[in-house]
Amino acid sequence: MVITINDKEIEVLEGETLIEVARRAGFEIPSMCYAKGAKHKSSCMVCVVRDSVSGRMFPSCSTYPTDGMRIETDSEEVRRLRILSLELLLSDHRADCEAPCSVVCPKGLDVERVLYLYDAARPAEARALLASVFPLPEVGCDTCKAPCEKACRRGTVDRAVEIRAIIKELAAKEDLLVEVPLESKVDKASFISRLGRFTPTEKEWLKETITTPSRCLHCACSGRSDCKLRRHATGVGIKRPRYEASSLLPVKERIHVRGRMWFEPAKCIRCGLCVYNSEDGFTFRNRGFGMRVVIPEESRVNVNEELAGLCPTGALYLTD
Amino acid sequence: MACHDCKNNEGQALAVMIARVDAIIDRVGTSRRFIIPLLQALQDEFGYLPSDALHRVYERTEIDRAQMISVSTFYSQFRHIPYGRHIIKVCTGTACHVKGANNVYDAFRRELNIAEDSVTTGDQKYSIEKIACLGCCALAPVVQIDEKIYGHVQPGRVSEVLDEFEAFSQEQAQEEKKNSTRQAAGEIRLGMENCCQASGTAGIYQAVNEACDELGINVNIKPVSCVGACNQVPLIDVALPDGSIVRYPNVRPEEIKEILLHHFRPASRLRRLKNALLNHIDMFHTDTTWDNILWKSEQERTGAINTFLAGQKRISTEGYGLISPLDIDEYVTRGGFEALRKAVASMGRREVIDMVLQSGLRGRGGGGFPTGRKWKLVAASDRPEKYVICNGDEGDPGAFMDRILLESYPLRVIEGMLIAGYAVGANKGIFYIRAEYPQAVIRVRKAIELCRERNLVGEHIAGSDFSFEISIFEGAGAFVCGEETALLASIEGERGFPRQRPPYPAVEGLFGCPTLINNVETLSQISYIITHGAEEYRRIGTENSKGTKVFALAGKVRHGGLIEVPMGTTLNQIVEEIGGGMEGGERLKAVQTGGPSGGCIPAELCDTEVDFDALTKMGAIMGSGGMVVLGESNCMVDVARYFLSFTCNESCGKCTFCRVGIRRMLDILDKLCAGKAEIADIDKLEELALSVREMALCGLGKTAPNPVLATLKYFREEYEEHVRGFCRAGTCKDMVKLVITDDCVGCTKCAKVCSSDAIPYTPYEKHSIDVAKCVLCGLCMEECQYDAIRKVSLKSEGYGNND
Repeated sequence: MVITINDKEIEVLEGETLIEVARRAGFEIPSMCYAKGAKHKSSCMVCVVRDSVSGRMFPSCSTYPTDGMRIETDSEEVRRLRILSLELLLSDHRADCEAPCSVVCPKGLDVERVLYLYDAARPAEARALLASVFPLPEVGCDTCKAPCEKACRRGTVDRAVEIRAIIKELAAKEDLLVEVPLESKVDKASFISRLGRFTPTEKEWLKETITTPSRCLHCACSGRSDCKLRRHATGVGIKRPRYEASSLLPVKERIHVRGRMWFEPAKCIRCGLCVYNSEDGFTFRNRGFGMRVVIPEESRVNVNEELAGLCPTGALYLTD
Repeated sequence: MACHDCKNNEGQALAVMIARVDAIIDRVGTSRRFIIPLLQALQDEFGYLPSDALHRVYERTEIDRAQMISVSTFYSQFRHIPYGRHIIKVCTGTACHVKGANNVYDAFRRELNIAEDSVTTGDQKYSIEKIACLGCCALAPVVQIDEKIYGHVQPGRVSEVLDEFEAFSQEQAQEEKKNSTRQAAGEIRLGMENCCQASGTAGIYQAVNEACDELGINVNIKPVSCVGACNQVPLIDVALPDGSIVRYPNVRPEEIKEILLHHFRPASRLRRLKNALLNHIDMFHTDTTWDNILWKSEQERTGAINTFLAGQKRISTEGYGLISPLDIDEYVTRGGFEALRKAVASMGRREVIDMVLQSGLRGRGGGGFPTGRKWKLVAASDRPEKYVICNGDEGDPGAFMDRILLESYPLRVIEGMLIAGYAVGANKGIFYIRAEYPQAVIRVRKAIELCRERNLVGEHIAGSDFSFEISIFEGAGAFVCGEETALLASIEGERGFPRQRPPYPAVEGLFGCPTLINNVETLSQISYIITHGAEEYRRIGTENSKGTKVFALAGKVRHGGLIEVPMGTTLNQIVEEIGGGMEGGERLKAVQTGGPSGGCIPAELCDTEVDFDALTKMGAIMGSGGMVVLGESNCMVDVARYFLSFTCNESCGKCTFCRVGIRRMLDILDKLCAGKAEIADIDKLEELALSVREMALCGLGKTAPNPVLATLKYFREEYEEHVRGFCRAGTCKDMVKLVITDDCVGCTKCAKVCSSDAIPYTPYEKHSIDVAKCVLCGLCMEECQYDAIRKVSLKSEGYGNND
């Protein structure tokens, strides 16, 4: 069977879905809920294509080619709907790709990373990071108006993290020698998802729960900031999604699955890859807009680390 | 020591519970696919799903935690926390919504003092919940407490209803009714469907029973199928030995004795004399009997109903008000099962399919796919195992056709299924009936038994080599399961996630077998086609839509109820001639068809002939047949929001456009109704609606934007008014307030009735309403005899419709 994709005629192989045919022919179709070789059910609609013969739109990841199809993978209509599906997913994805403090630092210091190492009791590495932008023990904070502290999300909860004080404290530890400065750059060119506002209940909860030495909420995505969601949003040119979040996803909730594996529900886009590819492990709870992915305590032993590789967002990840 | 006892008791209680759970598991089965029936049985037993019971399920069955969480939280029927002893279900179906169901819900909560974050009273006596539709739309607003249904419950009647329920439950605890057999002198027929019971037929039934006992009159009391004139219930028919029938609409229990005496002779002369005397005394001493229906002329008495019934054509509901739902002999006498016998005895499978194909019958579930073609597809497969499923998961708020068909005409639907099974070569049939219709389940189960006794279900049906088994699957409360593939998923014991088609169920359906899924009403039209032939059937209807269609007529119409009309009848005919015109002299604004998947047809287009294509062209759909009449006092933005919040709740959550897209549309509609939207939001809403229609993966999602798109098409100016902060119907609470005019005489009634203390008690002076406290429940307006309370717009654009 031969079908046409973007005016190119392609021979279809047995059992291939449209996305596989197109990718084999060199056409890039972004997708989220599909992973080659894994069980999946179409849901995200990012891989949408249009058949100009029937005029219908469908998910290319689970549609099988039929004779005479003329597929558009990147026409104006397809692009519009692909952007919209990503915008809708982003409106229900309560997370920051990058920490606001790191984004605004005029020196380009990855502030959150410094605070992370500080909280993890790894001051030597924290200093190494500082050394990449400052001539230690000198730091530029005295003359800086500290946009990091103004941008700090903790500031909307109670009061901002005292970032400058912590940096100075670290800089002063001259006994911790820096051999090689550590590089960590915030990606400002890519799309940056923003978490939005906390509700009053969340503020209370955060105040009580986040009690690390720095008090930092660690806004930066601890999963992978190069997740598919971010990559595709960047790819289609989204700057700011047009839809505001109204969801009450449990922001900042981190669930320890097992071993190095963690799960953050607020980042989950409910594609179901982890559900369909685990046996009595991850599962859906409730339906409709309130549908969540959960994992019961007793079932955590049933999942393995490879599952994290399937997650198209930073919701399910392995720590280093 | 005491503590030790305590533990012992706990241990014993647990052991008892486990024994009960084990008994249920033994009865239902241990396979994963039995999860829904298993959970239903557990909930029946315990009132909710106790976690200890679920633990036992993990131990003893194939069901694991992941499946349990997935399934038990998907279907709204299942509860994980204990409820109160009595459950109040407030219907929020379309008809109830347009008549103020939310105010009723709030009123119950206030009356029972239910805490804001709870659904149960402090003493664990009552729990309250909103329910999608009880299917008694003609009696809106409707409330169900346990098994008892109350119609026309206005917020002001809430305490009365609760009192009545208390009295009723005490009474029920008392003696059982004796059931002596009597020599019949005639027959009293009364409808015993949900809606009739809601209007108090149960009370009438009791009154007839008592009066017969007392007067010694021997009549058969026969519960019959629904007449459809739900607005005139309780309604009884007296059938006399000579075959004539006298119909009494809107009867009251105290009138029964009189009606009986009018038609029948009491037992002995002595008793008659005594009774006549007593009765005479009754007449003079109770003024309630004076303004009695008996004294009204025949025309006045039944006029309204006869117009209601004229203009209708009965196929699915043939024998309305005459046949007893479960009287198989009667059904046979009236030609029942002739079509089946004809098919299996003298027609080839191919011939049956051709006949259905030629008849032009289209699926009545909503889509309007030609039924014959579906049959042909299933028949084409030579797999030995095939299924026929009757889709009775009627979930549209505002539709109750399937319920009435299943409750009143179960035998006809079964016959249709048997013929379908024969034609496509299937050997198993399943009735999928939604959980909210317990009566339908009981009737269909009984009807299947009756058929089995007559060898109409089972091996070698009617002496042929056709064998067919029928079972029932109870839905667990998910609108999306009306969608074919979601329905299959739920029978297989999964979440009701639709799956992508193709493959169509006709090719790969239940457990991978070819499966024919037909709507209840579709199946109920089959026997007529087979008996009378395709040509005869084609005479009824329009060019591309043949036959009749059953509608559930409700809303702001004088006579709501179940109607069956030939395709091609106009909406105006339905509203004016059958429905008796608008209620309360309101002007017709629009007719909503197709429920949450349909749209609103404005009054100026209501002269269009109704069929599948005409409705689709106007932006509505036939749907399963809910028809809600809207008047000037209905806000179209609110109507759109109502339907969208329904689909938002019922979305399965699988695909992005339905799960998030509908939610974002609802956000915009909420903004509009709160007067906080901008003009640009309307365009955004429209773009989103069109995209969801294009991109959602199943029928539910694809049609969910219809109510928005149709109202945007015909009533865009109302959307624009909302941006300016004005709701012409006065429905949107953020845009109106209640004020007391100079007509107030200071009678204090409003102050007494006010549910939120918003009206200070100032006798003999003009009262006033504290806007900050007022919850706009409208109780005061109902109570005021001087018409001194008005709903006015907060903005100066004009006054609400109530002026």
